Amino acid sequence: MNIVVAIKHIPSIADDLPVKGNNVDFDSVDFVLNEWDEHSIEQAVLIKEAVGGTVTVVGVDLIGELDNALHLALAKGADKVVKITADDPAADSHQQAKWLAEAIKGMGADMVFAGVQASNDIDGQIGPMIAAYLDMPYIGGTSAIEVSGSTATVSKEFPGGVGMKYAVTLPFVAGVQSAPKPPRYAPVSKVRQMAQTATVEKVAPSGEASSGLAFKKMAPPVVTGHAEMIEGSPKEVAAKIVELLKSRGLA
Amino acid sequence: MLTPIEKILFILLALVSAGFTIHGFKTIIDTIRKGRPAPELKNIPGSLVKAAITVLFQRTIFKARKALSAVHLGLFFGLITYAFVNLFDVMEGLIPNFDLTYSGKHIAPPAWTVPLINAYNLISDVMSVFLLIAITVFLVRRFIVKDKALTYRENVLLNPKVKAGGQARDSLIVGVFVIMHVTAHVLSQAFRLTEGADPFMPFASFLNSLFGASEVGVHVAWWVSLGWVMFIIPYLSRSKHTHFFMAPVNLGLAKQNPRGQLDPAIPLKVIDGRKYDPGAKVITDLAWKRILDAYACVQCNRCQDVCPANFYGRPLSPSALEVNKRYLLKEATFGSHPDLLQAPLTETVISPEAVWSCTTCYACVRVCPVGNEPMADIVDIRRRMLIDGFEIDSGVQTALQSLATNGNWMGKGKRLRGRWAKEMEFPVKNASEEPVEYLWFVGDTASFDERVIPNTKMVARIFHQAGLDFGILYQNESNAGNDVRRVGEEGLFEQLVEQNMAAFGKAQFQRIVTTDPHSFNTLKNEYPQFGGKFEVKHYTVTLLKLFEEGKLTIKNKLSHYKVTFHDPCYLGRYNGGFTAPRKLLELLGVEFHEMPRNCENSFCCGAGGGQIWMGKVAPGERPAENRIKEALSTFQSHPSDKKQLFIVTCPKDMIMYSDAVKTTGNEGKIEVRDIIQLVAEAVGVEEVSQIVG
Repeated sequence: MNIVVAIKHIPSIADDLPVKGNNVDFDSVDFVLNEWDEHSIEQAVLIKEAVGGTVTVVGVDLIGELDNALHLALAKGADKVVKITADDPAADSHQQAKWLAEAIKGMGADMVFAGVQASNDIDGQIGPMIAAYLDMPYIGGTSAIEVSGSTATVSKEFPGGVGMKYAVTLPFVAGVQSAPKPPRYAPVSKVRQMAQTATVEKVAPSGEASSGLAFKKMAPPVVTGHAEMIEGSPKEVAAKIVELLKSRGLA
Repeated sequence: MLTPIEKILFILLALVSAGFTIHGFKTIIDTIRKGRPAPELKNIPGSLVKAAITVLFQRTIFKARKALSAVHLGLFFGLITYAFVNLFDVMEGLIPNFDLTYSGKHIAPPAWTVPLINAYNLISDVMSVFLLIAITVFLVRRFIVKDKALTYRENVLLNPKVKAGGQARDSLIVGVFVIMHVTAHVLSQAFRLTEGADPFMPFASFLNSLFGASEVGVHVAWWVSLGWVMFIIPYLSRSKHTHFFMAPVNLGLAKQNPRGQLDPAIPLKVIDGRKYDPGAKVITDLAWKRILDAYACVQCNRCQDVCPANFYGRPLSPSALEVNKRYLLKEATFGSHPDLLQAPLTETVISPEAVWSCTTCYACVRVCPVGNEPMADIVDIRRRMLIDGFEIDSGVQTALQSLATNGNWMGKGKRLRGRWAKEMEFPVKNASEEPVEYLWFVGDTASFDERVIPNTKMVARIFHQAGLDFGILYQNESNAGNDVRRVGEEGLFEQLVEQNMAAFGKAQFQRIVTTDPHSFNTLKNEYPQFGGKFEVKHYTVTLLKLFEEGKLTIKNKLSHYKVTFHDPCYLGRYNGGFTAPRKLLELLGVEFHEMPRNCENSFCCGAGGGQIWMGKVAPGERPAENRIKEALSTFQSHPSDKKQLFIVTCPKDMIMYSDAVKTTGNEGKIEVRDIIQLVAEAVGVEEVSQIVG
């Protein structure tokens, strides 16, 4: 089983997000692996552990610091890692999907996983775009994928506690919502060992694409007020709420 | 005394017994040698002599259970005496006419030996009584009173043979042995008294007055007494009473490094080029000394008594860990299950849940009379579980991932670490940019937690007012790694040490001061192994010095407070930092009352060793809640209208105990304060911030 996982490096929001012009100030922000990608790596490694095969993780190196994320993937069980040396921190998801698809094209993938979305743009385009470029079917929002022969059973969860299982013929692209188990912990000693011994394959970015969207303005949210806790018995609270609504002219 | 046939029988029996005994102890020694190399011990003869003195005075058992310890003392001296008694009894048996009754007149001893013989007769006679009393007390305690301290919680993993009563059986066999052996010996002496009472043998003389003298009686009693010994000695090597021999040895070979320095995950010393994986999966992955621990343990359960996890109802008992180890070793070496040496410890010795319940408070190691280190086993097991990809608590995983990327466990960016300092009314020096005398290592909780930051700011104000030349590392500080290491993430610990060492390397400072006992411990005891040669002070020591030098002066005495003080594990038990906080409280003029569990015997708040990161909270009374109750009951014996304060010197304590006051419904009765808040009030620095949220 040849599984390729496409990952995305995104600005960290552990710090206050620095803004410069109409975008993030990429020079003073750390980049981290997109949270959903951690799940797609876990999903890939789980399948590998169940039925054998190889896991290749590929990502666009936006700021020259993708190696950390790739070493982490290796420590978690990936077999091979590839970085697309783009050096363009502002590359949007359409552009990244094009570069990723070009890189994945020759890999003979049975399955391609991408995080269903990333928290920086939340547009969920990487997976579907790769599927389009590779001419493969796409299934998004998966919560578990099991493989048997040339068919995968893909679980999805819907609101209201409804679950659905799909039989999907390989090859296909999946947008992973979550792995069936929480992503495993990679001990730092293993990650460091990978950093010392593993080789990261480099691929030049190829092809152009754009979402056609441009940022008009980026600014931190303005703090407008705080929540007010209303205390008292349910009757008192209700009375106060009515009073508040009236005073704001809402009732 | 013995007939020639009896002599031959006895010598044959002794040879068989010696054979089994030698086999027993050789097996034990071979098993211990299967363990990994332990940190090098220095001056072993000196340590052994020191241990012998400790054992002689039974110093270590008196740390707890004073009355029972006194009984143990009687038992100990009784058994020591009986080593000589048995020697002389054998001589009586084998040497014709050898008889020490009536001052040894049957053997016509040289005059100078007569007082010695009398002394021996008296001591052995009196000790026999002590022994019988002591062993009866222990048997009554176990089998009639059924002391709960000798049992384990239902949820603790136990070897099936222990569950089936293996320990009780051992106790019964040895107890009955001692009673029969001693009684038989005294009777053998009583039967010798053909000329009435011997004033130096009151007990034997009393028995003689009941049963008279008897030649046959001497033979029968002698055989019962010595025959038992020939049986029991080989038996001891196969029971928990290896304790008799291994406890003193173990004490002599006990940990010499500072308490706060964990053994490395991979032995530094390599034998025959062997490669070791970090930590322990199977029993032979433990250092040889910790295999020896199992043989030294007699399962007194003092460790279990002081274990905060056990108190909390978690499935952890340090004592069960040791007893399970010994039963596993016994079945693997004396029994027919050598494969058990390759059985995962988490299935045979301690449950994974128990492994993750340990707060690494060191109370078990501190209280152990024989120098065992169950906590070290637990850390080693954690280390391997992490490497082997065991599923760990999600909260711990989140904390570790944040530590790896952000250098703190709170998921906050590095640049936010010094934000509190930027909000101060005066500039706080950046030690990475300008030289300072005191490099203040702030730690994660004090840097990021909104509930603790007011105290952090107050420390800065007091330092500032005292004219202390101090600075912080801002974003260059990373978590010191104390609890990371104790969670078992050795690689991450090393990464954090490297980051901090790099930051220290760029900074100019004369010493480090820290408000966090956990950081204090690892900086002081573990960083030196990574080249960190610096003086580290806890802020209580620095504050005291500032008062002593007159740089801080008390304006308002705080006699309106009634306070008690909680010793943080990593300041107190680990590093002996008991006096500075108490002296400070004395200076401040508060009414001070000590809780029953204080200093070395302080009770853990339950946060250490990664417990504060745990996503799941177990039901039951938490250690911190119990501690608040202890404080309140301490205050109850000193009633007054004064405001009651629970004083802490650790940011984690601030959080743990403030929560515990709320969850036990004691708001208004007791308030948790950092000692800095009292200092601020006493020296008249404004803005004493209350804990919020």
